[in-house]
Amino acid sequence: MIVADDAVLFREGMARILTEVGFEVTGLARNGAELVGQVRRDAPDVVITDLRMPPSFADEGIEAAAAIRSFAPNVGLMLLSQYVEVHHALRLMEEFDGAVGYLLKDRVSDLSSFAVDVRRVAAGHVVIDQELVSRLVSRRRERDPLAELSDRERQVLALMAQGLTNAALSEELVVSLKTVEGYIRNVFTKLGLQPGEREHRRVLAVLQFLRQQ
Amino acid sequence: MSALSVATEATEAYAEAPSEPPSAAAEAGLVMVALLVALLVGYGWSLGFHLDNVHNGLIAASFSVMGLYVVRMRPRHREGWLLVAVGVVHAVMFFGRQYGRVAGPLPAASWIGWVGVWPLPLAIALFGWTFMAFPHGRMLSPRWHHAGLGMFAVAALMATTSALWPVDYDRVGLVSSHPLEVPGSQVAARLWPYLLPSYALFQVLWTAAVVVRLRLARGDEAHQMRWLVYATVMATVLLATGLAVFRTAVPGLLALPLIPVAAGIAILKYRLYDIDPVVNKTLVIGFLVLVITIGYVAIVFGVGALIPVGTGWLSLLTTAVVAVAFEPLRRRAQHVADRLVYGQRATPYEALSRLSAQLDETPEELLDGIAATVANAVGATEVVVWVGEVARLTPHAGWPGRPDPAEPSRLGDLDRGTHSHTLPIVYRGTVRGAITVCKLVGEALTPAEERLLADLVAQTGLVIAQQQQAQELRAAARRLVTAQDAARRRIERDLHDGAQERLVTMGLELGSLEEQAKATGEPELAARVRAVRAQLLEATAELREFARGLHPMVLTQAGLEAALGMLADRSAIPVRLTVALAGQLPREVEATAYYVASEALTNAARHSGAEVVTVEVAKVAEGLQVRVSDDGCGGARQGDGSGLQGLADRLAAVGATLTIDSPAGGGTRIRTVLPCA
Repeated sequence: MIVADDAVLFREGMARILTEVGFEVTGLARNGAELVGQVRRDAPDVVITDLRMPPSFADEGIEAAAAIRSFAPNVGLMLLSQYVEVHHALRLMEEFDGAVGYLLKDRVSDLSSFAVDVRRVAAGHVVIDQELVSRLVSRRRERDPLAELSDRERQVLALMAQGLTNAALSEELVVSLKTVEGYIRNVFTKLGLQPGEREHRRVLAVLQFLRQQ
Repeated sequence: MSALSVATEATEAYAEAPSEPPSAAAEAGLVMVALLVALLVGYGWSLGFHLDNVHNGLIAASFSVMGLYVVRMRPRHREGWLLVAVGVVHAVMFFGRQYGRVAGPLPAASWIGWVGVWPLPLAIALFGWTFMAFPHGRMLSPRWHHAGLGMFAVAALMATTSALWPVDYDRVGLVSSHPLEVPGSQVAARLWPYLLPSYALFQVLWTAAVVVRLRLARGDEAHQMRWLVYATVMATVLLATGLAVFRTAVPGLLALPLIPVAAGIAILKYRLYDIDPVVNKTLVIGFLVLVITIGYVAIVFGVGALIPVGTGWLSLLTTAVVAVAFEPLRRRAQHVADRLVYGQRATPYEALSRLSAQLDETPEELLDGIAATVANAVGATEVVVWVGEVARLTPHAGWPGRPDPAEPSRLGDLDRGTHSHTLPIVYRGTVRGAITVCKLVGEALTPAEERLLADLVAQTGLVIAQQQQAQELRAAARRLVTAQDAARRRIERDLHDGAQERLVTMGLELGSLEEQAKATGEPELAARVRAVRAQLLEATAELREFARGLHPMVLTQAGLEAALGMLADRSAIPVRLTVALAGQLPREVEATAYYVASEALTNAARHSGAEVVTVEVAKVAEGLQVRVSDDGCGGARQGDGSGLQGLADRLAAVGATLTIDSPAGGGTRIRTVLPCA
């Protein structure tokens, strides 16, 4: 993997600790251009990059990720940021065909679950930060369509939005795969959503639904 | 000669001083003429009083004196010579008539009396020519010149007839009879009545000439014509009133000298004395006299006929009615007279009161208002208000339209030709700008207009100074807001790259430490590290929200719509968000719109108890409109500590105003439009 961040302490610390938990860090980059260059030379399984980097301190991370996806579509892309914003999440789900993650930087302090998330992205799945999702789920609405959902169904909805697969859901909720599929069917029926074929399509549909009203 | 070239000549030759020192011979000639007229009129006068001759004497004296004065000051002035000619002819006629009437005929009374009779048609034609050629001594056009010559031809025919036969002797009252005994007097006497209406035709001709010239005249010539017409009308009115009311021509006769006096003033002094106020006052007084007279007659005769009361009571009643009605009538008459005399020009009072009414307007419109007021007050064709220093003046406002933006000019370069006037605007000893006034070619500013203009310019200085202060204040406020925004962005960035980054790195290290503690079998240490990490995460979460409040990165990254969406996501009250934007907005406008929505939502969440808040942001013609309405308890006011004051201040800095509609119990609606220029 390659780690990109403009803050040297964080970049070096990440590399060291990720190595400790068993990842092989093949490169370190200070900005988007360096990251893209390194991936071009030697494509890793996954890239961990800060979203806001020099020179513009806007969304270099996403731009670099888009560039990498265009020439190395198999590289997993994990974006870290001090803030998680809905419009970024929607863009990642719309433009990137899976294998993409979007997490608060804070998440790296829980090493084991962060390692899981990185591996999921590397394996082609989708990871969306739980804070973003819980903010959307608990958002105040005039007429809340989520009121029709049971607590369990709401929990399933939030986990789906975070990008969990059905298998991951059954593991998380400690229920059978069939039960999970039942919950999901209920949620989609109650909310009037069309279940997407691909996992990131499902995430996008849920996020867009939560964003409305 | 066209009217335009006449006007140009007038502009060239308005000097009041003699255009060249008269030579001794010319002086002597003038003195001779004066002595001749004085002799004829004085001696004629001493021969007895005959009312029907008085007008000849008066015309002789007044026209001669005025004409001689004019030619002494301006020897080449044709009209002056025409006046002299009229005077001399009448002097000769007056003497002849007076001499010929002395009983017990004086020597040669027959011939001298004859000289007082037959030149009459020529004298009348000359009088008419003098009118038609006023004020420069030239006819309006060749056509008028021919008409004048035709008049003289007819007059010559009549004079010859009158010289040969005693056709005009009946009404003159001469003692001696006609000196010539030419055959055919019967035929002449029969023909004469058919020639007499020519006098009326002469009168029509010269009246038409004066009216046409009055209509065509512009500038100085128009002023001069007004003098003559005023005097003629006054004389005619006095004559008519005298004849109608007192059955005597004496008032009209006494008014005759008014005409040459007015003509002389018009030729020599029209720059010094403005006729307009005189006409104005005359109209007002004349109207009041007329109305009071009619009122008196109506009450005394009308009411007196209906109700049998004493004349004393009726007089008392009339006095009361006049007393009550006088002032309103006078004001109305003054108003009508102003309109008649000055056209749409405002009186100084009107101009100043209009100006003070405009002081409430926004500064940009205010200067336009001043330009319009000035144009209205002095009858200008164009007015431009310049603002700046002596060496750098730029046009800021104008009438009839705002001037095109132009390069800065120097004060001395603003004057454009003789019809343009430049007045520097000085406030506290410093030039703050200038007003340029263009009038029609040849039309000068009257002294009254100059005084009014000076007053208006003084007010304008104050306005410009205030406007500049207001602009400086607003610029300062805008700089403050911009600096504040920049500072917020800088602090957010510093936090992001500094403290937040360090805390996250610490979290990373703590996480690693926790894993190590677990791996080395120290669960107690692992639990303590986990607790510290949890506290650290809380701290970073707080710091994150704080930084987001300073400056939402999403606004810079994704624009206003996304930022407003983030606000709606985080609002404690459900938000209905409608955003209709077109094209890129200035960063400052986006930031302000976001700030308005953010503050309004915070306020609604804190104070309103509303069920739902509607946020509408749309591009309109005037700028970006932001409306936030809730269905809460209302009663929000600026300055009640709700943050609306801060909002209003911030909006004022970008030239926008905050409208708050918040009746108690009726929800709160705030609205603003941010200029996007």
